[in-house]
Amino acid sequence: MSTASSSSSSNYEYVTARVRSRKAKLFDEDDYRQLTRMGTGEIARFMEESEYEEEMNDLGARYSGVDLIEFALNRNRAKHFEDLLRWAEGPLYDYVARYLRRFDAWNVKTVIRGLSSEADREDIEADLVRTGEFSGSLTDRLLEAGSIEEVVEVLDHTAFGPALEDALDDYEESGQLVPIENAVDRAYYESLLENMPAETDRATSLYIEFLRAEIDFRNVRNALRLARSGASVDVGEYFIGGGRLFSAEEIDGLAGNTNELIARLRDSVYGERLAGPLDDLENAESLIGFERALEEVLLAYSNRLSQLYPLSVCPVFSYVLAKEREVRNVRAIARGREAGLDAEEIENELVVL
Amino acid sequence: MFELIAAFVSVVLQGGGPAVPPTAGAAIAVGLAALGAGIAERGIGAAAVGATAEDDDMFGRGLILTVLPETLVILALVTIFVV
Repeated sequence: MSTASSSSSSNYEYVTARVRSRKAKLFDEDDYRQLTRMGTGEIARFMEESEYEEEMNDLGARYSGVDLIEFALNRNRAKHFEDLLRWAEGPLYDYVARYLRRFDAWNVKTVIRGLSSEADREDIEADLVRTGEFSGSLTDRLLEAGSIEEVVEVLDHTAFGPALEDALDDYEESGQLVPIENAVDRAYYESLLENMPAETDRATSLYIEFLRAEIDFRNVRNALRLARSGASVDVGEYFIGGGRLFSAEEIDGLAGNTNELIARLRDSVYGERLAGPLDDLENAESLIGFERALEEVLLAYSNRLSQLYPLSVCPVFSYVLAKEREVRNVRAIARGREAGLDAEEIENELVVL
Repeated sequence: MFELIAAFVSVVLQGGGPAVPPTAGAAIAVGLAALGAGIAERGIGAAAVGATAEDDDMFGRGLILTVLPETLVILALVTIFVV
């Protein structure tokens, strides 16, 4: 698979029809309510009777309990997103691939973390999500790399190459993984808006706006987290360009002052949609509620867009978000049950629409 | 280009009859209608195949929706009997 999208036109009709059908098969509110009251074994059985049947049967012999659920979720997600890339043509492929590069970033980070913790190859491989733009052979070469330097070498020709090379010096100086992981994340977010294809109708420009919103939210989240943790880290280091809310200098000043940040958000384009969550944030202690609210706002907005612009990238994107939500929700339920949380506590953690 | 048109027009005018005879006009009308139906069916067909791939029960419904624009051609066929 390559980034280069041919000049052929997008096959929105076909992809949208399939995606809508798959979206209808995702777990709904009732399913979640049932799941939160089950033990891990029951969750596994429930999943065996749903979309996840194939993965559960494949992996059932090797893993058990929460691990089984988690690997089945990962593999199923990889399968569905791989399908999207297989179907999509023309500019649509480019839009989808752009977003799915986040799994490439995830894989690179997993390999690097695995190497630094000296995990076995099999363990690292089990944690990879094989979707996104990296070919199978490139991923294999990543796995075979014996050191972080080799990983950087393998990635030389990908979008992550230049950023990683810069970060490698930092890593060698400090011995910490943070600069490298940061470089991977930033390379991903910066490639998100790079060289957008020239086809810009209303729906596509909304999609671009959407990606911008995601970058903005990510920045807000980072700033809030850093402000709460009280760590004396330079926020500018973590700043991702391309959003429309802040510049790198601004966020530095705002991160130290949560109230100012909230005021700023209220005045921004997102103010109206975020009014409720912002009120909560001002009163509440924890960030978790606010972060969940951010996700909910993004998800609701993507659903709306997919209804307003049926023949565009929006339905596909909304499916990708919904599927990711499902995987995260089921994982949270399984982990929560294992840790002995009760149903209400888990339900508070879920993002359901 | 323009000389060609001028030449064509003068030939037609000298011939005395209409440039496009009625039956030829009707034929063009049907042909254009069929072209429109084809364009409409392109999108619907693609979506129908997608839906069928996900769920076999959609085959019948997909087929019906796919051929709906065919009514355009049938209606256009009326012109053949009118002229």
